[in-house]
Amino acid sequence: MAGLVLSAAMLPAASVHFVTVAGLGSEPDYEQRFASLAKEVDKIVHESSGEPKVYTLSGEAGTRARLTETLGRIAREAAADDTFVLMLIGHGSYDGGDYKFNLRGPDISATDLAAACDKIPAGRQLIVNTTSASGGAMKALQRPNRAVIAATRSGSEKNATVFGRFWVEAMRDPAADVDKNESITALEAFRYADRKTASFYETNKRIATEHAVLEDTGKGDPARNPNDENGQGLLSARFSLVRHGAAQKAAANPAKQGLLARKDDLEARIDRLKLEKAAMSVEVYKRQLSALLIQLAQVQEELDK
Amino acid sequence: MKLPVLVGAMALVAHAALPPRVTECRTHEYHGKQAEARACFTRLLSAPDPYLRAEGQYGLGNYAAANNEFKAAEQRNPKDANLKVRWGRLLIEPFNKNYSDAASLFQEALEIDKKHSGALFGMALAASNGFDSKATEFARQALEAEPGLVEAQELLAQLALEDVNFAKAIEEANKALKMSPEALDAMAALAAVEAVEDRNPDVWLKKIAAINPRYGRGHAIVAHHLVLNRRYDEGIALYRKALELDPSYLEARSQLGINLMRMGKEAEAKQQLEQAFAAGFKESSTTNSLRLIDSYKNFATYKTPLSVLKLHKREAELLRIYFEPELLKCISTYEKKYKVKLPVPVQLEVYPDHEDFAVRTMGMPGLGASGVTFGTVVAMDSPSGRKPGTFHWAATLWHEMSHVFVLTATRHRVPRWFTEGVAVQEESAIYPDWGDRMTPEILMAIKEKKLLPVAELDRGFIRPSYPNQVIVSYFQGGRVIDFIKARWGFDKVLAMMNAFAKGTDTPEVVQTVLGVAPAEFDKQFLAYLEKEAGPVIAKFDEWRKVLRAAAAALKEKKHDEAIAEGEKAIAMYRDYVEGANGYEIVGEAALAKGDKAKAIDVYQRYAAVGGRKPDTLKKLALLQEQAGDKRAAAATLEKVNFIYPIKDDVMHKRLGEIYLGLANSPGAIREFRAWLAEKPNDRADANYHLARAYHAARQSDKAEEHLLEALEVAPGFRPAQKLLLELNAQKK
Repeated sequence: MAGLVLSAAMLPAASVHFVTVAGLGSEPDYEQRFASLAKEVDKIVHESSGEPKVYTLSGEAGTRARLTETLGRIAREAAADDTFVLMLIGHGSYDGGDYKFNLRGPDISATDLAAACDKIPAGRQLIVNTTSASGGAMKALQRPNRAVIAATRSGSEKNATVFGRFWVEAMRDPAADVDKNESITALEAFRYADRKTASFYETNKRIATEHAVLEDTGKGDPARNPNDENGQGLLSARFSLVRHGAAQKAAANPAKQGLLARKDDLEARIDRLKLEKAAMSVEVYKRQLSALLIQLAQVQEELDK
Repeated sequence: MKLPVLVGAMALVAHAALPPRVTECRTHEYHGKQAEARACFTRLLSAPDPYLRAEGQYGLGNYAAANNEFKAAEQRNPKDANLKVRWGRLLIEPFNKNYSDAASLFQEALEIDKKHSGALFGMALAASNGFDSKATEFARQALEAEPGLVEAQELLAQLALEDVNFAKAIEEANKALKMSPEALDAMAALAAVEAVEDRNPDVWLKKIAAINPRYGRGHAIVAHHLVLNRRYDEGIALYRKALELDPSYLEARSQLGINLMRMGKEAEAKQQLEQAFAAGFKESSTTNSLRLIDSYKNFATYKTPLSVLKLHKREAELLRIYFEPELLKCISTYEKKYKVKLPVPVQLEVYPDHEDFAVRTMGMPGLGASGVTFGTVVAMDSPSGRKPGTFHWAATLWHEMSHVFVLTATRHRVPRWFTEGVAVQEESAIYPDWGDRMTPEILMAIKEKKLLPVAELDRGFIRPSYPNQVIVSYFQGGRVIDFIKARWGFDKVLAMMNAFAKGTDTPEVVQTVLGVAPAEFDKQFLAYLEKEAGPVIAKFDEWRKVLRAAAAALKEKKHDEAIAEGEKAIAMYRDYVEGANGYEIVGEAALAKGDKAKAIDVYQRYAAVGGRKPDTLKKLALLQEQAGDKRAAAATLEKVNFIYPIKDDVMHKRLGEIYLGLANSPGAIREFRAWLAEKPNDRADANYHLARAYHAARQSDKAEEHLLEALEVAPGFRPAQKLLLELNAQKK
């Protein structure tokens, strides 16, 4: 998809630090696959107009030294209103105590990774660990204001994963944007990739050996299905990963501020109406929803002119 | 599809290897003197010899205790062949069905005494369970070792019956009766012949009752053979009678339950199976069937005046879109073709878990078939139960539905080869690319002259003598019907069906309906088949080499060579679409060269000849679409829908969009509904597209309904907003 840009929610004034690491593949096939995914993420992020600071460590650069050095640099440069995204692609291992991300040369443990990330002052953080056994790193990486996603629910799911492939697909597939607000959030990408992963195993008649989880409160249990009941997903739902379309342009035009305010109001009324749905008759709900949606469409039509 | 042996070990008549005390007990039992038998077996429990105690427990039905006593007895006498045989017989009982351990014990006994008649007979029993053709051989060896072994003679009668060789069955049963006028299972075999051939079996059943009034097994044997001949209702009635005679006959109760389940009578099936289970009959068929019945709560049922469709809830919404219209189309087509009106709606059950389907069919997992018909009830795999490309659900549906009509028209009086042959022929009758292709295994069977004469073709389904014979027999049956159609016309197929319904056998039907002797028919048929298979067989070895060369050239990126060799392979063996085939090698090489026209050409030939890999077909559709041939692309994607319509929301979206472009609103509506039924991540987009299709079909209400659903999830969805404004403007 053309024209992917980093989110406006990743405030224009603030910086976005996007680190992607392709770990050790051990076999040519994996080496190529991991490098290719990292390259694709790099491309998607670079095509953004938000001028993010992108660090892609792949091939010979995929070492512990380069990773810690990069995280150290971001820790020095980032501000509190910045956004930090770390994406790990590759194999992981778990010995029952600590998780390790497999890199060229020495690996890095979840504890060391967490320590390095904790030094980064960025107020909004996302770590997407797509490796095998990544569930074993969850506890170490969890922290308030940080969403952590793992491809596996525990360290004992040790087979190579496919979740990462579908996460990257989510970043470029408008179908991942389920609410059509021209922004793909971390939660939308998680759900998209999780669903595609499950489908991959079903279609290939293979037993699923990975079950992705998400934790974004910093204190709860990682959830397979983040929702209101388990309290997970709130931060991720607001964590805009990529944005596409024309919404940013309108936001920058002072002449359209009135329309934007009207649009915000209508959206808020629609949200309230949806909350009241259970208490209303179907007919009344549909009538009211239809009226609000028509008004919203008309406002949008004006905005698009 | 074949059914398993349902009757367990034979009752005993002569007991040469048994001690007199045990023989006495078994003789009481054999004559239905239950109280005396129980008292006799109970006395054995206090014997000092663990073997005698084992026999006592065995006779009283305490199988676990009997097993322990046998174990103790074997420790005392590890070289006692008789003991091993008796222990093996315990293990083979329907309660246990432990055929492998039993066979090991029989084998051990044969190592001690290679001519031990009981051990040889035990091997025959174990083999007969799996329709192994060795059963007859072992039974004959047992008779050579002990010419008076009635059980072995009776088994030969049963085996001949399973082979649908009634003359032989009568001959073998009469031999058993000469050995012993009280050979109850021989009488039951003769009763079964009468029942299967539509004569009254009561003469023999009364003779059985005169010897043992509680011998429910006699009725159960007849029931078993009726079921083998797909006459389930009659089989059920006889199982009921078996239970009237002997309410404690738990194997019959379990079989009654399983057959009721086959006929879709789940409530009573459950009741019977639970009763058997509660009384201790916990063998795998009973347990599996009960487990399956419990899972029926997960199925959704859709009814029309002509059909009852049962789909698993997790895929019901999607599969209904394709299965229901196809089922109704099939019924309408066959009603005209076979000139038959079905008496009741057809029940079609679709199982996403192949093992559930197998349990539904046989009570046991591990079934190779993908569809089974029980009268007007059809059970089949769901496309989701098989790996994509390995299963054509629509061909299976038409195949099984053909059985429904043929079985109804003939009242189940039809040889297996004929109904399977007609069904296989039907797979390709609707679309030529649907049926199964002539595989290398079939070619080898033809080359090695392994095809059976038409008069004996049933044997290939029931008691195969080589690994692929069932598959070869399906193919042969189908080609026999093709040949009859080509040589005499389809009306003769109908005439044969009606002749079979009157109880006429294959040789006579061939002679009277087709006007040729069966031997002459076989000759003409082989000549017909030779025209198709002969050239392929002649070049088979060369074809393999050429195909290997094509694959190697592709690997080495010698694309022109891959195309040339691949085309040669296709010309030599057009039907080969499995594994690495010429079509896909040529297609891949052509694409690598950038020659899309060539790729389209070869993939189209692949699809036309019956290639089923969804990914290859989707690749073809994309190429066709890019080449501007949307109609061809839609036709190709329709083929995928008949193979694997699930877990592919992208395909449904694409086909829907093609149909919208072709102004085919019904097609677009169907595909967007399928997309939505896949529960896509992007529900807003799916609802929006469905709204567009309804809008194109001028169904504004439905268009608005789906637009609201789209916008409820995604209020800012621009294309949906635009359509909403358009609809709103139209209203004004």
